[in-house]
Amino acid sequence: MSALPQLIVAGIGMGSIYALVALGLVLIYRTTNVVNFAQGDFPMVGAFLLVICLFHAGMPYWAGILVALAGMAVFGGLFNLAVYYPLRNRSYLPVLISTLGASIFVQNTVLAAYGPQPANLPPLLPLRGFQVGGVFLDPQYLVIIVVSAALVLLQYLFFEKTYLGKKIQATAQDKETASLIGIPVRWMIMLTFVYSAVLGGVAGILVGPIMYFSIGMGTAIALKAFAATIIGGFGDIRGAILGGLGLGIIENLGAAYISVPYKDAFAFLVLFAFLMVLPQGIFGEKIAEKA
Amino acid sequence: MPLLKLSHLRVSHGRVEALSDVSLVVEAGEIVALLGANGAGKTTTLRTISGLMRPDAGDVAFEGRSLVGLSPEMIVRAGIAHVPEGRRIFSGLTARENVLLGAANRPNLSRHAREAEADEVSALFPEIASFRDTLAWKLSGGQLQMVAVARGLMAKPKLLILDEPSLGLAPLIIQRVFDIIVEIRRRGTTVLLVEQNANMALSIADRGYVLETGRIVTSGCAAALGKNEAIKAAYLGQRAA
Amino acid sequence: MRTIQPRPRRAIPVEVPILAAGLALAGLALAQPLGGYATGIAMQAATCAIAVLGLTIVLGYAGQITLAQASFFGLGAYAVALGTADLGLSFWTAFLMAVAVSAAAGVALGLTSVRLGGHYLAMVTITFQQIFTLVLTNWAEVTHGPDGVPGIPRPELFGHALSDTRHYLAFSLVCLTLAVASVSWLRRTALGRAMEALRDNELAASVNGIDTVRVKVIAFALCATLGGIGGALFASGFAYISPDQFSLAESIVFLTMALLGGVKSALGTLVGASLLIVLPEVLRFLKEVYLAVYGAAVVLIMIFMPDGIWGWVVLFGDRLVRRGPQPRTAGPLRLRREAGDPGDVVLEVRNLAKTFGGLKALDSVDLEVRRNTIHALIGPNGSGKTTFVNVLSGLYRPSGGRIRFGGRDATARAPHVLSGRGLARTFQNIRLFRSMTCLDNVMVGAQRPGNDLSAEGGGVEARALSALDFVGLLDRADALVGDLPYGHQRKVEIARALAADPALLLLDEPAAGLNTTEKGQLVELLRRLKGLGLTILIIEHDMPLVEAVADQITVLNFGQRISDGTPAEVLRDPAVVTAYLGEAHVRAAA
Repeated sequence: MSALPQLIVAGIGMGSIYALVALGLVLIYRTTNVVNFAQGDFPMVGAFLLVICLFHAGMPYWAGILVALAGMAVFGGLFNLAVYYPLRNRSYLPVLISTLGASIFVQNTVLAAYGPQPANLPPLLPLRGFQVGGVFLDPQYLVIIVVSAALVLLQYLFFEKTYLGKKIQATAQDKETASLIGIPVRWMIMLTFVYSAVLGGVAGILVGPIMYFSIGMGTAIALKAFAATIIGGFGDIRGAILGGLGLGIIENLGAAYISVPYKDAFAFLVLFAFLMVLPQGIFGEKIAEKA
Repeated sequence: MPLLKLSHLRVSHGRVEALSDVSLVVEAGEIVALLGANGAGKTTTLRTISGLMRPDAGDVAFEGRSLVGLSPEMIVRAGIAHVPEGRRIFSGLTARENVLLGAANRPNLSRHAREAEADEVSALFPEIASFRDTLAWKLSGGQLQMVAVARGLMAKPKLLILDEPSLGLAPLIIQRVFDIIVEIRRRGTTVLLVEQNANMALSIADRGYVLETGRIVTSGCAAALGKNEAIKAAYLGQRAA
Repeated sequence: MRTIQPRPRRAIPVEVPILAAGLALAGLALAQPLGGYATGIAMQAATCAIAVLGLTIVLGYAGQITLAQASFFGLGAYAVALGTADLGLSFWTAFLMAVAVSAAAGVALGLTSVRLGGHYLAMVTITFQQIFTLVLTNWAEVTHGPDGVPGIPRPELFGHALSDTRHYLAFSLVCLTLAVASVSWLRRTALGRAMEALRDNELAASVNGIDTVRVKVIAFALCATLGGIGGALFASGFAYISPDQFSLAESIVFLTMALLGGVKSALGTLVGASLLIVLPEVLRFLKEVYLAVYGAAVVLIMIFMPDGIWGWVVLFGDRLVRRGPQPRTAGPLRLRREAGDPGDVVLEVRNLAKTFGGLKALDSVDLEVRRNTIHALIGPNGSGKTTFVNVLSGLYRPSGGRIRFGGRDATARAPHVLSGRGLARTFQNIRLFRSMTCLDNVMVGAQRPGNDLSAEGGGVEARALSALDFVGLLDRADALVGDLPYGHQRKVEIARALAADPALLLLDEPAAGLNTTEKGQLVELLRRLKGLGLTILIIEHDMPLVEAVADQITVLNFGQRISDGTPAEVLRDPAVVTAYLGEAHVRAAA
């Protein structure tokens, strides 16, 4: 069955998108202990910013991407200031609800500004699909996979090899001690939000050429990214990547061989199974109680 | 002018008063011990000095300047390094990375200078070399304590604050940690030390203060405090021994 | 979170005015018909509010988040719709089916999520909600798919058809009134207290005899049932339903309604639900930006009104009407005197071990506590004392060894089971139910399973009051426990343990943070307790206190027992002097 490798490549492509959003989710979770339920709206906003740059401002593709990503950086900063920062000393619940509210706000602001019609981006590279050993490959999926892999590598180098990366890691592990040794925690959190919004924007720009996206696309992506982080092991970067790729492949295969209408359900069923059997995920954050 | 001066500090956790009236002085070059039972307010005092808690009343002055209202980051830049209770080493980073992060209060330091300073500080603790690239969660209590003190020294502080450095350590290691504290003072850093192990603390301190339920109840030179019967009874359990 | 002053108990329960007002409103709906449009909105508000009351229980009382309430609302609605329109059942049969289905789904969701909290729980409930929506849309043979179900009939009541929308509105309002009154009453029952205890401090709840799994599942079941009832009434009221009315977005709206009103109070929930149903109608002029404004409002509510509108009302009301403390009376505290001789072994620990990763926190520790003695466990910080108490009380599973308590094996039993057998404890870092009153805190202790309350005339409240009186805090019974000074909080925690009439009381550093006077009172309290026949295991650093009360001392160091005996023996033991009092002391003594 020559369709199988093709399905897997497409699955990895979509899975890379989940993984990118999941990475942003994990970074924010690690620095703030908050799960951002509006994370899925980051790719949506990024994709629409690019649509506006290309079709309304008439910019060239490369300039549009730069402007859209810069816009995402600003968006991430504002998001932190308005949604997270005022609630930083409260329990997880108000912050969680606040991000849900922010998601409704963002989606409907875009809706009011742009309208309900779905949009699509032109391909990033003007290449046609080609055959490799009987397998048809869509270059867009390859672009997604290559860019995602490059970003993951870059992020790894940043966190492991730079002093700033270490400072952010320290902030994520213990905010109070980080501030005690002179790390400006407030800025580290700000930086995390900015970076994670840009990451989301990249995901949106990558996914734009392969699907028509609409205002609500973020919710589905966010939920799957969230599922990916739990499957991979909450708070673990490797887990987020593995979980995202795994989900992308599973739902593509499920849709092809089992049922198209229930495509979205596969991700949730896998998640459910994990929560029941292995709630700490593959790379396992230990859920320990302390008296 | 004293290096550190607390005057009539009052601090509460929510609606519960933790410190009601704490005044103390640390002169440059001293080792000062702050003693008291669990829950007396020692840690709260230290957390107030380093800006993690805000006082309701009173003042914290460092080199004559008030620190009240400054963030912890600004206070460590002013020259106070606080090694917190329980070490609080970043468990996902290596020993060396933890030590290097101690210089986070000086962002303009070059990578080269930072590495050189880390080597210099680590020379005080030759043991660190054997586990410098080990992730911190794998280290023992004694190793963690050395990393914590080294990280504190990387800030080039004028005043080093140590909260219960002997906590959970075997007697031999405690001795080693206390020898290091003496060495640190000899090299010119002032030390404010909180300890449960009062005998040990008073054996190296110049002066001591005793806290009880948020108040300084006794103070004096270490030798005199060590002989004070009331203190022995309350904190050292020597009445029956 | 900002705290709200507790309202003192009134002679008339608050449910009476709620019922009266609700019935009056229903009567008004009959007498003074609204326009068709307004009636529709009122009906929607009433049925949604019933579903949102479910969140008052699960989130407000029990402190568990759920983002699946719209799915329970939908289950109830679809049960009634498919039951009546497709299967031809009567409304009431279909209604019972709706209650059964939603309750069962609630139990299922509760059971799958008992071990998960916080974000995980949020995710599980979202997953449940999403799968529900997918099934509704795609299983068209049964659910009619995206087209929805039309032609849902109205019920008959006492032979009177409720086909007139006015009558149906009055009926819905009566149902709503009953729901508000029940949810409000639930809070004052033992179950309601257990839920609030669980919310405030799960660990403390479990060592006070609350089966946290059971209480969580019950909370979810009640929440789902209310959702199902609301949905059933909604379906019949509007005659037509479709999947988009029961989506994740609706679950979020329900959650916002609860939070906006004030999730800890049934009345507040009602306010929030009504407001968010009516608000869109008022804000119609905003057109497409309405939902954006709504989203922003959710964020702002979280930031500026943590206790919701009802929190404001209560705060304001208390400022207007200052009530003095209510006088309380209490009888003497009675503790059971178990059959058996003083000197029997109550607690026997053999070779107990506990490791965390590679660290040996406890290393084959032996200990015996005899009836009606005060046994002290001492040792330097980090020597394993608190680990020992946590293993004893069932919070940690031991890595090895046996525990016998009251003549039965008690190794690795659940905390609430041990509490039911008469084990009570306090915590080093005080674990009270912070948003509850002193009396409610102590009542949680008194209501533990198997507590014989016949001596107090059977009342949990009477028992709790005598325990509070025993520690000298009767006059603070109605104060919020979080507002008390530290020393008083310690005493409330001891009262909570005493109210459970324990066979063995574990005290973890009860003197920490107390001043000299308070320590004196503690010594006196411990002696009085021993006089009543109680057996106590106390962990303490304060040596004079230990010497003043202990009959027996065990010393731990690095997880091992290094000495055991009478105070005179132990404090002279050179091993103890070295470990506990420090090298310098030994050197000085040498």
